[in-house]
Amino acid sequence: MGPGNDELDDEIRGHLAISIKQRIERGEDPESARLAALREFGNVALTREAVRRVWRPLWIEHAAALRRDLRFALRALVRVKGMAATVIVTLALGIGANAAIFSVVRGVLLRPLVNRDEDRLIYIRQSRPDVENMTFSVPEIDDLRARVKSVSAFGDFSTLDFTLIGLGSEPRSIKSGVVSGTFFEVMGLRPVLGRLLDRRDDGPNAQGAAVLTYRFWTTSLNSDPTVVGRKIRLGPSPATIVGVLEPSVPYPADTEIIANIVTSPHHLGATMSKGRTHRMTELFGRLAPDASVESARAELTAVHAGMMREHPEAYSTKQRTQLTVARLRDQIAAPARTVLLVLLLTAAVVFVIACSNVANLILARSVRREGELAVRAALGAGAGALRRTLLAESLVLCGAGAVLGIALSKPLVAMIGQYAARFSVRALDVSVDATVLWVGAGLAIAAAILLAFVPRLPSSHAPTGLGLSSGSVRITPGANRRLRLFATTQIACSFVLLAGASMLLTTLVTTQTAKTGYANMSRVLAIDVPSEALGVPLKNSSTFFREAARRITELPGVETASFGNVVPWRDAGPLGGNATFTAEGYTPADGEEAPRGRVRTAGPRFFAALGISLLAGREFTDDERDPVAIVSQSLAQRMFQNGDALNRHIAWGDPMNPTPTQRRIVGVVADVDDENMVRQAAMTIYAPSSPMLGYGGRLFVRTSADPYSLVPAVTRVVRTLAPDQSLERAATLDDVRAEVLSPDRVNALVFSGFAGIALLIAVVGVASVLAFSVSARTREFGVRLAVGSAPSQLVWRVVSEGLAIAAVGIASGAAGGWALARITARFVENVHLPGALPVAGAAIILVVAAVAASMMPAVRASRVDVLQALRSE
Amino acid sequence: MATRDDERLELLQGTLDMLILRTLQWGRQHGHGIGQAIRAQSDDLLKVETGSLYPALHRLVKRGWLKWEWDQSEANQRAKYYRLTAAGKAQLLREQNRWSQLVNAIGRILNAAPTSKE
Repeated sequence: MGPGNDELDDEIRGHLAISIKQRIERGEDPESARLAALREFGNVALTREAVRRVWRPLWIEHAAALRRDLRFALRALVRVKGMAATVIVTLALGIGANAAIFSVVRGVLLRPLVNRDEDRLIYIRQSRPDVENMTFSVPEIDDLRARVKSVSAFGDFSTLDFTLIGLGSEPRSIKSGVVSGTFFEVMGLRPVLGRLLDRRDDGPNAQGAAVLTYRFWTTSLNSDPTVVGRKIRLGPSPATIVGVLEPSVPYPADTEIIANIVTSPHHLGATMSKGRTHRMTELFGRLAPDASVESARAELTAVHAGMMREHPEAYSTKQRTQLTVARLRDQIAAPARTVLLVLLLTAAVVFVIACSNVANLILARSVRREGELAVRAALGAGAGALRRTLLAESLVLCGAGAVLGIALSKPLVAMIGQYAARFSVRALDVSVDATVLWVGAGLAIAAAILLAFVPRLPSSHAPTGLGLSSGSVRITPGANRRLRLFATTQIACSFVLLAGASMLLTTLVTTQTAKTGYANMSRVLAIDVPSEALGVPLKNSSTFFREAARRITELPGVETASFGNVVPWRDAGPLGGNATFTAEGYTPADGEEAPRGRVRTAGPRFFAALGISLLAGREFTDDERDPVAIVSQSLAQRMFQNGDALNRHIAWGDPMNPTPTQRRIVGVVADVDDENMVRQAAMTIYAPSSPMLGYGGRLFVRTSADPYSLVPAVTRVVRTLAPDQSLERAATLDDVRAEVLSPDRVNALVFSGFAGIALLIAVVGVASVLAFSVSARTREFGVRLAVGSAPSQLVWRVVSEGLAIAAVGIASGAAGGWALARITARFVENVHLPGALPVAGAAIILVVAAVAASMMPAVRASRVDVLQALRSE
Repeated sequence: MATRDDERLELLQGTLDMLILRTLQWGRQHGHGIGQAIRAQSDDLLKVETGSLYPALHRLVKRGWLKWEWDQSEANQRAKYYRLTAAGKAQLLREQNRWSQLVNAIGRILNAAPTSKE
């Protein structure tokens, strides 16, 4: 490297000494010779610095220059605080949203599971067009196990509700899994405490054993280390806790306990082990060493097809039953994939909007400072130096934006994680990690570089004389075109988001304002009364529920109490029975299928309790001797002439009762829809009781007081009848509906939030483009006013410019959005284009926003002082 | 600005570098001596400021065209003597060539017969 300081000083000293000596030899006196030599040498410090700089590495030079530029940029930006703040906040929103969503996407879709060799784990699903997941029956699993070679081991898991007694003081209903001994081995999971279930826990003669899930152990039991060995009761069966499972993704269900087969009497019964159609088990597999997902899929499908040929009675002839095989990781993430990809796309659109808005502001600013740049270019600053100045500014802006955005992303990750958790359990474990930093920094740098190249540099070919001398704003056609292009991009992107958001909002409003047919829903309390365990019915269930309802009616504050088997909306699907029926006097036309209706259980005073109006006939009473039924209005109208259904007969198939009983219709009630949020005319049959009630009923209590204050009293009444009975999920019908609607509401909220941000940014964008365009054309407006233009004409002129931007933006947004939907439809199922109403709504919002945004600059244009304007240049 | 400085020095530097290399063609010399030699040989027309001379010397060393050695000077003081390297000799040849081409070209333009005006 270069010389040290001493060495350099020596060199200079040597130079001076020689110089002095020569002068003395020429006859000067020593003192004046010294002074002359020094004078001749010039500034020692400067020379020394210049020499030192020769030896300094190049990057230090650049870094120093950049530091100077950054300092300069900071000072320059402080002078335009408003613009800087807008840019920083805009970028922060774009960067924050992207970083947060990307972390969630990574955590849910890309991160591997904790299971050993998780990429060899598969999930096998049996489905039919009308049933998304039919699960498997034990005989089916036995067949697959015996015949399939490409899967080395199968693990099975069935979800059950048990009443748990022995942990905590109250008996309570818990979600649990029942597994065979191979399950944990197949899943490749380890215990954190004790052991997991294995082959010794198989079979009807094993001891009852249960494993706690990690979440249950840590949250409900405070990670109690003495829990292993504790005796509990799961419904009727005793069991011992043998271990605690490591933290893992709870799939297929978020259970608290996983027990062996002996704990579930149902699993030991003949229905379970012999019934080919008794499907309730989910199936996992571990690929054999030489098998791939594809080969396993081919073999499983072939074996499954053979099974269906051998047992045609067990499969629907109308609809094709199918077997699908997916990697477990993909299966778990699948429901979240669509929503996350849509979110990612949305965030990307917001980022584009943010960047184009920032580009706009920066472009406008750089046009304003063309004078300054021209002066610097004239003084000899190269293009590189000018770019570096601009880069420094955008670095400061984007850096600040990134820091703020990353700060923002932390709460956002938590929010989006909560949101996505409804689609995939993995989202709950997502936390802010280094990904956020990388994404944030990457986006910021991308934005900074992009932005530094947006402004046009003063070209050495174009005459800059005028701009130089006056330092005023001269808008060039190129800059103006670019400003408009950015503004149009923003409008287009906002339009796509707004249309999407308004589609969701429209759906939400439709469902929320829909009439339900239930009166005064906030006064009706619905409570689940589960059976102890599947397969063990409540004893004398009808009597039990009738007695419970009667006693609850006597409680103070209760108007009516009754029971049924379906809580509207919450129990929609599996519990709501569907059956084909025959109605007296109605013959289906040739080729027409027998009519299907929903079959519901309704206790005495059921319709009064739920607030469903009785249109004809009577309710069920406490004492129904003959087989009777009540039907809904739409059934009465469709099946009987003039809707005259009373005293006619109806009969339907019942899984528990294959020979249908003819029942006399004693009442007709108004239509309600307990499955869909927006009521559709549903043919519903109500029966006074059903053996199915024993597998869990629902109490309905109509109150005159606060419904929730009655829960303890109701619990006491039930416990006097059945001491170990648990009561679950007490909620008013209003709250049930709100809870079922909450995903829609959150969806609408999230997307409206994005759309709102986008709209705000776009409005700022349009306003700033027009404001800039107006201020740059002061002279033009002055001339126009001077030659007799009316101020209103000028206002219209500017507003129409805004409208033109909006119109082009909306048109390209509509085209782009349509194309985007077509492209996504190729990868994602269920892509809906919004209807005409939301699209029109979004367009109107944007047009109004554009007019509002252009009003201010327009008014300013019309108020230009003619003399001032003409003098200004 | 670093870039601007570099560019400006480049012009001056080109010639100065060549002159320094040329001066050292006959043997080693210290900074003061080089400055005096240029001045004397140009009949006092070219005066090299020390503020330019020393950075130039160091730059040439950095590029490998010169090397230095310490020795006792005539003033009985330690002085740094510069000497051409082989690469420096080659560079001098190149620069002389370029320079004579430049002078030749400019000379032709300046001495050309005046073209007829219309």
